[in-house]
Amino acid sequence: MTESEISIKRKYKKLEDFDPQFFENIARRSNIFSCIQCGTCTASCESGRWTAIRTRQIVRKAALGDLSVLEDPDIWLCTTCYNCYERCPRDVRPTDVIIDLRNYASEIGNMSPNHTAVVGYLRSTGHAVPINDKIIRQREALGLDPIPPTLYKYRDEENSEIIPFHKLFRVVERGKEYKERKANSRKNLDGFEKLS
Amino acid sequence: MVKENTFSFFLGCIMPNRYPQIESATRFVMKKLGFTLMEMERATCCPAPGVFRSFDKSDWMVAAARNIAIAEKNDADILTVCNGCFGTLIDVNKHLKSDPEMAAKVNEKLKEMGDYQWKGTIRVRHIAEILGFEVGPTEIQKYIVRKAEARAAVHYGCHLLKPSRIRQLASPEIPTFLEEYVEALGVKSVDFAQKLTCCGAGGGVLSFDKNTSMKILKEKLGHMQAANPDFIFDTCPFCQLQFDGGQTTVNEIYGTNFDIPVIHMSQLTAWCMGMDMEKIGLQYQAHGKDYQFKELKEPMEKVSIKEKSIEGAG
Repeated sequence: MTESEISIKRKYKKLEDFDPQFFENIARRSNIFSCIQCGTCTASCESGRWTAIRTRQIVRKAALGDLSVLEDPDIWLCTTCYNCYERCPRDVRPTDVIIDLRNYASEIGNMSPNHTAVVGYLRSTGHAVPINDKIIRQREALGLDPIPPTLYKYRDEENSEIIPFHKLFRVVERGKEYKERKANSRKNLDGFEKLS
Repeated sequence: MVKENTFSFFLGCIMPNRYPQIESATRFVMKKLGFTLMEMERATCCPAPGVFRSFDKSDWMVAAARNIAIAEKNDADILTVCNGCFGTLIDVNKHLKSDPEMAAKVNEKLKEMGDYQWKGTIRVRHIAEILGFEVGPTEIQKYIVRKAEARAAVHYGCHLLKPSRIRQLASPEIPTFLEEYVEALGVKSVDFAQKLTCCGAGGGVLSFDKNTSMKILKEKLGHMQAANPDFIFDTCPFCQLQFDGGQTTVNEIYGTNFDIPVIHMSQLTAWCMGMDMEKIGLQYQAHGKDYQFKELKEPMEKVSIKEKSIEGAG
């Protein structure tokens, strides 16, 4: 084990690093403690054929409370194809486990900037993929309304319903704050837990 | 009572904002079939199950429940043409129906989003379900004016069938209904290796790590190419975006020369129902701009012979 790996593990050894709700939630939404580590999930994984994601390991870490899995970028390589979910002989639903882990990783600020940008689009336009001028002309040529009747069309009306969308997915801000808070408190720990 | 033969047409993001030709084809097809499409005013992104569900499941549910509530005001089931939108909306709708506690929480939050309440009065439908099962390969013959002579690589897409306990459409390992459907339109469905694998775009992977997404896509395209199809047939604009735009990226990265047209179920059906090739809109797509459907000769006779022999047997 390299030094940086050890320091990641140590990061989750204090009580305050754990959220007791976390395992309760995961256990409630999946059958994570039924896992027999057979590896059907890893063998069925489409992303795993090209990347380092090992679904069996992720499920094992989550079941054992090894939260270093939240620092692992691999949990973001799942394409949610649901092969493991369909084939699991113990009905563990690994896809749901990974989604729950991603939710938790987001809360502690482990998010890709590409993903947070998509949240920005949703808040400002109501779409993850906003319209552009080329498409507006294309829609006209096809005989469609130039702007579809989605929330984007009504974004400038009085009391527009786009406003409450700004409050959605605040997890982006919560995650960033958590990361900053952690970084600051770590500075006070005489550099012992300095992370790579 | 939910309105019959009427749907709330859920647009989503990629169809209206990247592939509007699928939208016009869908409107054309549903009109020909005698269905009424109602607009869902002020609807938003479903929101996408990849990124948004990964960030915060409860906010994802609230935004999805808001879309469902708009359709409930129309008093008509939702029609979607996208596997991703289908996944989000049917997941949330069924989850809330089975979890009253969560439904109450979501409704509490919905009050902040405007005048919305999720009641659980409607169903979420995918166009593949309507065309493939409800109308079906036999009944569709009454509505088409021509068949296409072509070979197609059929791609289901993951979220159309899985999780099967929620979708309850067809077997996730050996589905056949799309093949049966395209064959009814004259198109030969070709077999290729690893037919049911993912296009590589889902789960937020396309935006998280484009290289991985393109690796998965490249392998998939290679298997498709080996079967020598005239086009890729899909039921999801996001898969279509991945296959269509992705071919360009894969060619750039790997020096390959993939150039396969990508066609959505609505586009093929619309052509068979008489829509002009120009309106099918392949000229707007990245690949197969010049592809023209070829009319299959004497398809109608075959059907009549079959019917006669059945009558004779009876």
